[in-house]
Amino acid sequence: MSLLATASLVLTRAFPASEEVPFDDAGYHTEHWLFAPTWETIIASAASIIVFTAIYKFAGPTIKKAMSDRTAGIQAELDDSAAAKSDAEAEAVRIRQAKGDIDSERSRLYAEADAQATALLADGRERLDAEMAELEVRADAEIASAADRSADELRAEIARYSSDAVELIAQDALDDATQQELIESFISRVGASS
Amino acid sequence: MSDALIEGYARALFEVARAEATLDEVEDELFRFARSYESSDALRNALTDEHVPAEKRQAIVEDLLGGKATATTTQLVSMVVGSGRSRDLPAIVDSLVQRASSAKQLDVAEVRTAVPLTEDQRVRLRAALENSTGKSLNLKVIVDPAVLGGVVAAIGDTVIDDTVRTRIDQLQSRL
Repeated sequence: MSLLATASLVLTRAFPASEEVPFDDAGYHTEHWLFAPTWETIIASAASIIVFTAIYKFAGPTIKKAMSDRTAGIQAELDDSAAAKSDAEAEAVRIRQAKGDIDSERSRLYAEADAQATALLADGRERLDAEMAELEVRADAEIASAADRSADELRAEIARYSSDAVELIAQDALDDATQQELIESFISRVGASS
Repeated sequence: MSDALIEGYARALFEVARAEATLDEVEDELFRFARSYESSDALRNALTDEHVPAEKRQAIVEDLLGGKATATTTQLVSMVVGSGRSRDLPAIVDSLVQRASSAKQLDVAEVRTAVPLTEDQRVRLRAALENSTGKSLNLKVIVDPAVLGGVVAAIGDTVIDDTVRTRIDQLQSRL
């Protein structure tokens, strides 16, 4: 039960006659069409004062503390929001900076890749040219070698066939008279030398 | 076969031939048989095949030389073949020829020709070689168709080569 209700009950008990308005033939009627009777007003006012005083006394610090806590909470939230905003702005700056760094890094990487690709291409072309030149030299040497080999083989073949041919011709030409002539020639020549 | 063994066989053959008083003839026949042995794969294989009994190899020798060589030559070759020394026959014969030449104080002149020499040619060739080298020579003539034509003579380390074969070889080298 609230304090106001308690006070009303006490006053009603203490002044029961106040509700009893003089009865006349026309029935009960209020003394004033707007205001309560004076004593009721006084009692009600006193009760109100008491109640509000009690409220102020007993509930005021709690309410005040609650309000203060609420204010502090709101302030903390505001501060957190401000800090978050600051952090967000810093993060945004960092991101923008990072984005800028990324852009510059990307540009640098692109430039570096272009340079490397160019160098690689130039190196590859140079190496290819060198290899081509070397291959050409080697091919020329091999062609020359093959030509020499072929010539040598041809000469050897010619020599072999010539030798075989000479041998066959010699065998045909070496009749008995020629054999005797060769023997006599040998005897004469050896005999002449001493 | 060791050199001592070859020398031993050669000395034995030499003494037999000299005792028989057919040294020159036997020496010449053995020399020619040795050269034939060297140049004929079939003869060499037949006489060195250990799966062929010794008697059969000796029979081959007697078939080859019988009537064409003196009995002493045939028996000496047969003895060498029968004793399983066929592989050393050329070395034994060469040693025998060397020994015979030394006994006669002659140097061996090995002559190869494509066709046989007449006796007159042999005499004149020996004289020519002796005149050229200043040595007394025991002439051993080998008929070797591989020389094609001409004559090649080897006296010790000295070689006088005037064969068609050598000329063809030189021509081939130049080519």
